[in-house]
Amino acid sequence: MSSTKNERSYKAQKVIDRMGQKLNRQMVGSLAACVHCGMCTDSCHYVLANPGDPTFAPAYKADKIRKLFKHHYDWTGKVFPKWVKAGSVYTDEELHELKDIVFGKCTNCRRCTVNCPMGVDLATFNRMARGLLCYVGIMPEGVEYVAKEQWEIGNQMGVLKEDYIETIQWQEEELQSEMEDPTAKIPIDKPDSNIVYVINPREIKHDPRSILDAAKIFYAAGEDYTMPSEGWDMTNFGLFNGDDELGGAVAGRVYDKVDELRGKKLVISECGHGYRSTRCEGPNWAKKDITFDAESSVITMLSYIKQGKIKVDKSKNPGSYTFHDSCNNARSCGLTEEPRELLSLVVENFQEMYPNRAENFCCTGGGGAMSMAEYRPSRLKSAKIKADQLSATRAKTVVTSCHNCVDGLTDLIGHYKLGMDVTQLVNLVANALVVDGIVEENKKKYAEKEEVSSGASQ
Amino acid sequence: MSNLLHFSEHTLQEVALVLMATVYFLRIRWFLKWPLGKERQPATGLGDTNPKKGERYSLGLIAKPWAMESTRSKPFMYAQFVVFHLGVIASISLSFIIPYGPGLLKSAAFVSVIQVLVGAAFIVGVMRIIRRISNPYIRAISSPDDHFSLILLTSWFAFAFLAAPNDISGGEGTMLTYFLLTAFFLMYVPFSKISHYLYYPFTRTYLGRHFGRRGVFPLRRKPAYQVSK
Repeated sequence: MSSTKNERSYKAQKVIDRMGQKLNRQMVGSLAACVHCGMCTDSCHYVLANPGDPTFAPAYKADKIRKLFKHHYDWTGKVFPKWVKAGSVYTDEELHELKDIVFGKCTNCRRCTVNCPMGVDLATFNRMARGLLCYVGIMPEGVEYVAKEQWEIGNQMGVLKEDYIETIQWQEEELQSEMEDPTAKIPIDKPDSNIVYVINPREIKHDPRSILDAAKIFYAAGEDYTMPSEGWDMTNFGLFNGDDELGGAVAGRVYDKVDELRGKKLVISECGHGYRSTRCEGPNWAKKDITFDAESSVITMLSYIKQGKIKVDKSKNPGSYTFHDSCNNARSCGLTEEPRELLSLVVENFQEMYPNRAENFCCTGGGGAMSMAEYRPSRLKSAKIKADQLSATRAKTVVTSCHNCVDGLTDLIGHYKLGMDVTQLVNLVANALVVDGIVEENKKKYAEKEEVSSGASQ
Repeated sequence: MSNLLHFSEHTLQEVALVLMATVYFLRIRWFLKWPLGKERQPATGLGDTNPKKGERYSLGLIAKPWAMESTRSKPFMYAQFVVFHLGVIASISLSFIIPYGPGLLKSAAFVSVIQVLVGAAFIVGVMRIIRRISNPYIRAISSPDDHFSLILLTSWFAFAFLAAPNDISGGEGTMLTYFLLTAFFLMYVPFSKISHYLYYPFTRTYLGRHFGRRGVFPLRRKPAYQVSK
């Protein structure tokens, strides 16, 4: 329902009321402290790709949210609204305009956050604004669809349990065939395992090879692990649509399953937003302190090599490689050195990308942008910055630790005709595995285990 | 010295300071009433950082222009920031020195130091006004308060420069204007963006704690440890 300036629409009123419930002191600090110095401007890939258009500037975008805060919650804005650019929203059309800013002009990459002299965390209150709009049903259609799938089916791609199990079993057969070991398993719901391994639904739908590669590494390491039959989706659209309730429910499903299986450690496959959501934000959203260890599979794979549990031969991965830091991994979780160390162990020729680590540019598919078809032209235009970064490395393959980045990078590489491949660390580690002798050893272990269990049952 | 100038140097400044302190107190109280977001996640990162270290790093960034890309890539902007804020400190100090320690201003060298600081800050202020008007990005984000605050401070620097010798033999106009501007500045600051320094310790501490816990701060630009053989 739309409204005139004199009366506020139902949705606009809901957004304003909800804002008061979602604000915390960290966010209020960020909303109150901006001095409009403009130092954040050049940190945004949207700005760099759209020179001369100030509407992409982080501070400009932030002010579209800030004006509501100032008008309704900060008394300087109540007393002198025009003087401090305070303002309100009255119509649904205005909410849709705000939607185009918070979803369509920002990937919540946090590059402006780490470049703000005042410590203003725009991405955090941009996420809050997304949540306010989603609360009243104003969001890109793709975001609505994916969030619904995650609420109702339990994973963001609507994978049914039967399809999930079937895909795991298919990969188990592939594992047995590749290892020439009919006893090789991908266990499901095995209690008391050292590791509970959770994945991105994209791996089931589009990239089952990464499940097989992970299984090969676990097999080679002789790991006692399991995949859960439910609560296996470590991605979380709550991060993208700003819905803490969804975030808490999705992360809670994973935590509950680990608890139910009495798993000792949760290992999260390579996914930036999945890692951030499950490892970092999930406990906050779910309001639950997790009682088990949780780590990225990058750290798990690295520790296998360092502990001598697996052997790798980097000559199996010829060619030149560069590494793209996922924003969520690098800028929100500090996962910058482990992937580089792992990469140096499995490839011969590595070219660093500049800038890198927490200063890296977004793949432009972050913040759920890949699910927002209406903003694709703008996204690909802004991807020019990433394309220039990639081509400057002269590498043939870009490696990343994020399924979302794989899609974002693949899209821009095609658009800008860069002719590069995209891969993940799990693929490179699996390819570099030296499995001589492991198969025989594992078969022996399996036979011994069988003997023990048959003896116990007699 | 006329009664008006004496009033401006003493009573008016004291009233303005009390008003500023009162509004600051209310503002901090308002700010602290917002609930502090709780962080439940177990710490991540390489183990060489933690929330406390993140806080210290975050607060210290003000003095590390090389640490952030935004300041590293714009050294001239950072230099402007330093000069401008040194000018603010010098001008505020002058407003206390003239009424309470005028003896210090008998030193020509001391007066010169003050004048160099506020004079340089005045030049930076003018440059900032030009930038705020001419740069389309800055113009688009500027509020009337941004423009007014900058013009107010730049004018204040100019009068501080003229008032620094503390000489009223040629008339009290300059000195009177400086103190009237100072009093207005003190009363206006809590309502304007100039009060950003009130939030600075909070925003930087919270962000530093958050990024320290997550292993992001201190920011890394080189390999953090030896790659395994």
